[in-house]
Amino acid sequence: MNGTIFAQDDIEVRIRGVSRSFREGDQLHAVLKDLDAEFIRGETVALKGRSGSGKSTLLNIISGIDQPDSGQVEVAGLDITAMSERDRTLFRRKHIGFVYQSFNLVSTLTVADNVRLVLELNGVSEPEIAERIEELLASVELADRKNSYPDVLSSGEQQRVAIARAVAHRPSLLLADEPTGNLDDKTTEGVLELLDKLVSQAGSTLIVATHSARMASFCDRVLELHDGVLVAADGRD
Amino acid sequence: MPALYRASFGYLWRHPWQLVLALLGICTGVSVMVAVDLANESSREAFLLSMDTVTGEATHQIVQGPAGVDETLYVRLRLKEGIRSIAPIVAGYVDIGNITMQVLGVDPFAEREFRPYSVPEPGVGVDDAYRRMLTGPGAVVMSYRTAESLKLSPGDRFDVSAGGRVHRAELVALIGGGDGRGFDNLIIADISTAQIWLDMLGRLTRIDVKIAQDDETGIAGKIRDALPIDGQLLNAAGRTRAVTEMSAAFMTNLTAMSLLALLVGVFLIYNSVGFAVLQRRRLIGVLRALGITRRQIFTLILTEGLVLGMVGAALGVLAGMWLGQQLLVLVSRSISDLYFVVNVTDVSLSSLSAAKGLVAGLGATVIAAIVPAMEAASYQPRLALTRSVLEHKTGRLLPIIAIGGIGMVVLAVILLAVSGSSLVAALTALFLMILGLALCIPIAVRACVTVTAPIADKVGGITARLAIQGIGASLSRTGVAIVALAVAVSATVGVSIMVDSFRGSVSEWLGNTLRSDIYVGVARGTLDADLVDDLVRVPGVMDYSSSRRVWLESETGRTRIIALKMAPGSYAGIDLLDAEPQDVWHSFDEEGAVIVSEPYAYRHKVGRGDTLELNTMHGDKIFQIAAIYRSYDANLGAVLMSRHTYESHWNDPAIGAIGLYLSPAAIPDEVIEHLRKVSEGRQSLLINSNREIRDMSLQIFDRTFIITDVLYWLAVGVAIIGILGAMLALQLERGRELAVLRAIGMTPGQLGTMVMVQTGFMGLLSGLAAIPLGLLMAWVLIDVINRRSFGWQMDIMVSPEVLGTALVLSVSAAVIAGIFPAYRAASSQPALAMREE
Repeated sequence: MNGTIFAQDDIEVRIRGVSRSFREGDQLHAVLKDLDAEFIRGETVALKGRSGSGKSTLLNIISGIDQPDSGQVEVAGLDITAMSERDRTLFRRKHIGFVYQSFNLVSTLTVADNVRLVLELNGVSEPEIAERIEELLASVELADRKNSYPDVLSSGEQQRVAIARAVAHRPSLLLADEPTGNLDDKTTEGVLELLDKLVSQAGSTLIVATHSARMASFCDRVLELHDGVLVAADGRD
Repeated sequence: MPALYRASFGYLWRHPWQLVLALLGICTGVSVMVAVDLANESSREAFLLSMDTVTGEATHQIVQGPAGVDETLYVRLRLKEGIRSIAPIVAGYVDIGNITMQVLGVDPFAEREFRPYSVPEPGVGVDDAYRRMLTGPGAVVMSYRTAESLKLSPGDRFDVSAGGRVHRAELVALIGGGDGRGFDNLIIADISTAQIWLDMLGRLTRIDVKIAQDDETGIAGKIRDALPIDGQLLNAAGRTRAVTEMSAAFMTNLTAMSLLALLVGVFLIYNSVGFAVLQRRRLIGVLRALGITRRQIFTLILTEGLVLGMVGAALGVLAGMWLGQQLLVLVSRSISDLYFVVNVTDVSLSSLSAAKGLVAGLGATVIAAIVPAMEAASYQPRLALTRSVLEHKTGRLLPIIAIGGIGMVVLAVILLAVSGSSLVAALTALFLMILGLALCIPIAVRACVTVTAPIADKVGGITARLAIQGIGASLSRTGVAIVALAVAVSATVGVSIMVDSFRGSVSEWLGNTLRSDIYVGVARGTLDADLVDDLVRVPGVMDYSSSRRVWLESETGRTRIIALKMAPGSYAGIDLLDAEPQDVWHSFDEEGAVIVSEPYAYRHKVGRGDTLELNTMHGDKIFQIAAIYRSYDANLGAVLMSRHTYESHWNDPAIGAIGLYLSPAAIPDEVIEHLRKVSEGRQSLLINSNREIRDMSLQIFDRTFIITDVLYWLAVGVAIIGILGAMLALQLERGRELAVLRAIGMTPGQLGTMVMVQTGFMGLLSGLAAIPLGLLMAWVLIDVINRRSFGWQMDIMVSPEVLGTALVLSVSAAVIAGIFPAYRAASSQPALAMREE
C-alpha cells in the first residue's frame, strides 16, 4: 500500500462542508462540523479518533447509509447526497463494500452463500458467481469451510468471510469499521495482510476507522477526527 | 418491586408491541370461551328460570298421555280425595305478532300455594289481579318487562294466535316476582281461556302437586290410587332436567369449539413468553453471572407469565361479556329452532363463567410459560448465548416433541376405542389428537424447508432462499406460529367438511323423506278434524298422509312419538337402515310394531328385533321394534308408529300436519290457492310446497351453524395475531441482520418482499399441515362427536373446494399478518449495522 503517487483528478471520495449533528435529549450534539476531505482512488486511509468522535458516522455518510445535515459527498464522481434513498442503496450495492467489527454475517447462510448474496444482488451471472466464490474463498483460505455456517467459525475466520463478501463485487470503495477490533494480535495480522492483498488486487480505495496503530501503519495516510473535523495524524489539516 | 423484577418487566414495557400481542392472544382466547359459556348459560338459565316460574312450588306433576290430563281427575282429587295442594295447569305457546310467548292457564283459587306472584301496581293485590283475570275470556296478566316489550299497558287489548286461530286478549294487570326475569315472555290467563286458545277443552296439560318431603298425609299414595291407568305422578325437577338435557350435547359442542380458540391462544402465549425469554438471553446470562439461581430465573419468567395471564384473562373476561351478548342471539335462536322455545335478551353475568375464564386464561398462560421458563433457567451464567445454539437445541428437541405428539395421538385413539359413548371422552380425544399432530408439525416444517430451500434458490435466487431458510433457522419461533395457524385453519377444514357432509346428508334425507307435494300444518297446534276432511277432498289431491308428533313422559324421561297415517307414496320416504321394507311395513301397519330413529337406537342401544315399553291408556305396553330409520331430528330420537297403532293405545285423535299427494295433472299453485280458500275463516294454516319445506329446513340448518362459523373465524383471528406477533418478534431479533442486508445493497422493496415471501411460505406450510389435521378432525367430528352427541351417522363428503379454501385462507392470513412486519423490515435503518454492540 505504501509508496503510491496520487493524481489530483483521480479522486474517489470528495467531501465538502459536511456537518452532522445528533439530538440527545434537549441537546444537539455536533459530530461532524463543516468537514472537508478528499480520498484518492486506490489509496488506503486510516481514520483515527476517540470513541464517539464520529468515525462511524463519517463512514455511514460516505456510504450513503446516513445523510449529512449539510454539505456534499461525491463518490466516484457522483454526488450521493443528491440521490434518493433508493438510488443511494443501488449505488452502495454496486460501488461500496463493508467490513464490520462484529462481522455481521448472515447467520442463516453458509460461508459461500454470504459471498454469493452480494454477487446475486449485483446481477452477476451464475458461472461467474461460482468462479468468484471459489477464487475468493481460496484467497481467504476458507475454501474448505464454504458450506459451514458462520456461528461455527472462529472470529478470525468470520472476519475473513466478511472481507471476502466485502470485495466480492469488486467495489471501488471499501469501508471498514474497526475490522480488527474483535480479534487477537495474531489474527489481526492475518486480516491486515488479507485486506492489503485484496485491496491492492482490486485497486479499491480503503477507508478504515480504527484505534489500532498496527492497522494505521498499513495505510497510506492516517487522519484523525478531532472535534468534528479531520486532521492529519502528523498534524497536517 | 425488586430490581430483578424491574429488570424483567422493564423489558416488556420497552417492547409494547410484544406486550400488546401477548395480551391480545390471551384476551381473545379467553373472551371466546367466556362468551360461549355466557351464551350457553344465559340460554339455559333463562329456560330454567321460566321453568321455575311455571313450576313454582310444585314438587310433582301429574301427566297423562299425549292428549293431556282429563280435567275431571282434578275435580275428583280435590273434592273426592280432599287433596288441596294441587293446581290444574294448561300450558302451551301462542304468538303475539311475531313473538312466541308461553301461556300458562291457571286456576286462581288453587294458584296461591304454588306461584306466589306480587303485584307492583299500587293498590292492587294478588287477589285483585286474579279477580280481574276471571272477568271474562281473554283476560291475562303478565310481567311489567313483558308488557313493556310488547308495548302494552293494563286495559290494552291485543290479538293472540294459537293453533291457526286468532283470539282477542286483554291485559288486565301487571304481576311480578323475584327480579321479574322468570316472567319474561310468559302470559298468565284463567284456565278456561288457555283451554280455548290451546284447543284443550276438558283437558289439562298437567296437574301441579305439592307433596311435603316426609309426605305424612300419604298424598302421593292417594294420588297414585286415583290415577287412571295411563296417568303418572312425576317428579317436577326430573321433568325440567329431561327437557334441558335435550340441548346438552349442542352446548357441549359449542364449548368444545370455544376451547379450540383457547388452544390456539395457548400457542400464542407460548410464542410471546418464549420470545420475551429469547430476547433477554443476554440479560438472563448477566443475571446468572451475578448469582441469580436457576430457580429464581424460573420463578421470574413464570411470574411474568402469570401477570400477563391475569391482565390478559381479565381483559378477556370483559371482552367475553360483550361477545357473549352477540353470540347469545345465535345460541338462543338455535336452541329455539332445535329444542325448546327460549327467549333470552340479557346475558347473565355469572361470576362462575368469569371465574372459569380467569382460571382458563391463567392456566393456559402458566402451561405456555413453563417451557420458556425452563429454557431460561437452563442458561449458563455467561454473557452471550448465541441464537444458533438455542436453535440447535430446539432442533435436537424436535424428534422428541414429535414422538410425544405421536404418543398423544395413540392415547387419543385408545381413548376413543375404550370410552364407549362418552361425549366428553370423545372431545378430550379430539383435543389430544389436535395437540399431538400439532407437535409433529415443526419437524415436518424443518424437513419441508430443507427440501424447498434449494428450489427457492433456483426460482427466486438467494433472497428467496434466505426467506425460506429463515423459517427453518428460527424454528423455535416460526414453528409455533405455523402450528397456531395450522390448528386454526384445520378447524375450518374439519368443521367445513363436517357441515358440508351433514348438509349433504340432510339435504338428501329431506329429498327422500319429503314425498308429498304439499304440506299443511298449523303453528303450535293441531288441525281441525273437519277441516282436514275438506282439505283432502280438494280437487287435484289424490291421496294424503298425516302425522302427529307428541311427547310421552315417564319416570325415565321423555319419548318423542310420531304417529303416521301413510299414503302409498310415503313408505319409500322412510330410509330403513337395518331391514328390508318387505319385512317391516306389514308388521308396522298391521301388528303394532314400531320403527325407531337412528338417534333413538343409538341412545337406547336398541335395534331390529328388540322391544321398548311405553305407557299407554291400557297401561305399560311392549312394542316390537321392526327397524331403525335414518333421521336427523335434533331431539333425542323418535319412535314411529302407524296411526292405527297410536289410536289404539292413546286417546288422541288430533292431527298435527298432513301431506298431500297430487294427481299428475294437478297444478300445485292452484291446489294451494284452493286449500287457502277452503281454510279461510276456519283456521290459519301453514301451506307449503315440497320445495318450500325443504328450503326452510335447510335454512334452519344453516342458521344453526352460523355460530360455528363465527367461532372458527375467531380462531383464525387469534392465529393471525400469532403470525403477526411471531414475525414482528423475529424482525426485532433480526433487526441487525436486516440492517446489514440493507447496508450491502438490498432495497427496502426487496427486504419487504423477502419478509412477505417468508410469511407467505409459513402460511402455505400451515395450510398444508392443516389439511390432514382438518381431515382427521372432520372424521372425529362426524363419526365420533356427532354420533355420540346426536346419534347421527353420515357419509363424509370432502370437496376439493374446502381444501383449496384452507390453503388460500392460510396463505392470505399469513400474508395479511406479514404486511406490517414487511413494512417494518423495509424501513429498517442500515445505520444500525454499523453500530457496534
